[in-house]
Amino acid sequence: MNRARIERELARLIAGGQAVELIEGGSRPLILYRTLPTSGAPLNLPDATDVVVPVPEGYPASMIDLAGLPVGSPLLARVKGGQNNQGIVRVADRDFQLASYHPHNGGGGPPWDQARHGFHTYIDHVLAWLDRLS
Amino acid sequence: MLANAVVQATSARRMVLRFAQPELSALRDLVFRRHPRDEWATLAWFGWRELAPATTGADAALMLTYAAIESPKSGDLDDAVSHVAIDEPYSLRMALAAEHNALAPGVIHSHPQDVPPIASVIDDDMDAYYSRYFSDFAPGRPYVSLIFTIIDGAFACSGRVWWRGAWHYVTETLGETQSLQTWVGWRPPPRLPPDLRAAPTASTARLAAAFGDEAALRLKGATVAVIGAGGTGSAAIEVLARAGVGRLVLADPDRLDESNLERVHGSTAEMLHQPKVVLAKRHVADIAPNCVVDAIIGALPQDDVVDAISAAHFILCCTDSHSSRLAVSDIAVRYLVPALDCGVTMEGKGGTVRGQIVQLVRLFPHDPCALCREMTIPWRVAQELMSEEEKSRRRAAARQAQARGESGNMYWHDEPQLNTVGYLTTTAGAMAAGYAIGLITGRFAPPFSRLQMNLVAPLLDSTDVDVEPRADCTCRRVRGHADQALADAYVWPPSHWSPPRRA
Repeated sequence: MNRARIERELARLIAGGQAVELIEGGSRPLILYRTLPTSGAPLNLPDATDVVVPVPEGYPASMIDLAGLPVGSPLLARVKGGQNNQGIVRVADRDFQLASYHPHNGGGGPPWDQARHGFHTYIDHVLAWLDRLS
Repeated sequence: MLANAVVQATSARRMVLRFAQPELSALRDLVFRRHPRDEWATLAWFGWRELAPATTGADAALMLTYAAIESPKSGDLDDAVSHVAIDEPYSLRMALAAEHNALAPGVIHSHPQDVPPIASVIDDDMDAYYSRYFSDFAPGRPYVSLIFTIIDGAFACSGRVWWRGAWHYVTETLGETQSLQTWVGWRPPPRLPPDLRAAPTASTARLAAAFGDEAALRLKGATVAVIGAGGTGSAAIEVLARAGVGRLVLADPDRLDESNLERVHGSTAEMLHQPKVVLAKRHVADIAPNCVVDAIIGALPQDDVVDAISAAHFILCCTDSHSSRLAVSDIAVRYLVPALDCGVTMEGKGGTVRGQIVQLVRLFPHDPCALCREMTIPWRVAQELMSEEEKSRRRAAARQAQARGESGNMYWHDEPQLNTVGYLTTTAGAMAAGYAIGLITGRFAPPFSRLQMNLVAPLLDSTDVDVEPRADCTCRRVRGHADQALADAYVWPPSHWSPPRRA
């Protein structure tokens, strides 16, 4: 895992006030974006949530893909791909369910460009995902 | 400065210094500004990588890459004296800059024409001073001191490196296309190394007749890395070995299967399921027993493989792996190793072959990189690097999506390809090896940026597809930065890969 690159990307988010961290020790490294806003309040859904995103093997050559919400989150039924379970990952005693969300792989975002994209830009796709609840 | 400082170096460690073009030419122009009578200098930055002992067979070696110049401004050097006198503001500017980058500082200065590149007492004082001075601002980094001169008409270089509390002579200098004489330990290079004094052997006599004895000697002293020992790579390996290349570094993680027998040079049915590099090494031993082969069962960018190839004169990328192609391009940019990517593809369907394509792409340090050229497909790279468990899960998800009447491409892409055949891979590999020979001997270079030709089109339908480097590409920022730009590495070895091992 290219820790130096990931830490550089996270540092940009942290400098802008976003709580985010690299989680290791589980079956795969993950990025945990904390307390991201959602558009759920009018729907009596959480207005903020934590989101995990797996660090792909070979990153940054491999595109960032998927996004996960806490197991049991009512948002899972409302986000794109949320009902298509792509696996469960554990972060600090909490389980997250990965949703079928693929912004860089035909899912609505630009094709993966490792010279431009990273976890510091993927957050934009995650925010859009949390904003466009069905 | 210190008075009469003693700077005693050794050549016990291999210290390889690498330059790319056009930086080397620009550097020459600058430091020879007052040539032929007086000296001149500049401060400069270097990337570096420590090479594991397994690669060198001795103590850990250091590879240094010329990354950038910190040009002197008016008044930074005293031009009233004939030797080099660097004013303190220039040194301080460099030292403060060192706090904002990770590169190694250094000094490059010229000697007057035909004055050998041997450190003077003044040079000793300067190096003793700067090695301590920069260590305060940039602890733990090497300090590099080089002397350039023109002697008997030849461009010569000597150098020493302060590293981990000791001085080391630069033992090799590699110019991308320009040859430099390396004076090791202030001694001129032997006109012909003892083991090279013999006339070309009968097997290399034809090549020597075509390009000259010196060309044969250069080949004998060269290291070529070949990534991939399949159809294309095995053809290149065979041509290079028969041409008299002295050392080959071969890397491939795969084993020979039955379908490879049609195109892998040196393969026989008895060798099925053996690592491809094992049979390549055996084949080279049969045809060129004096060729040293470092065969690694592994893939780029695993550390041992990078160590082994980063001090090579040239890399041939002979694999259809997109991630390896990215890694080779990255190595060309960050470690300044010129490379040539070669590949083949067949186009057609239903038994009709419309295209038999050979493609050679020049990946020199200054060329547009694989990302600029869009030589790789993101989903394909990702699929190559996934674990088997992830591949299985994604294939299953794709099948489920298709069963629902949806596209499964977001989970898994299947893109059937026509199998390539031996005459095509042999053509590509042999051509690539030929250009390696041309570059090493200094006799010719690839006259293209990205050559494509179709063996079944009129006049082969040859095209040279050139592109401009992308202004925002990583390659524009990290050229020559070596391990100091690890955060910008194009690809990282997946955690599930087996560690590389030597065959």
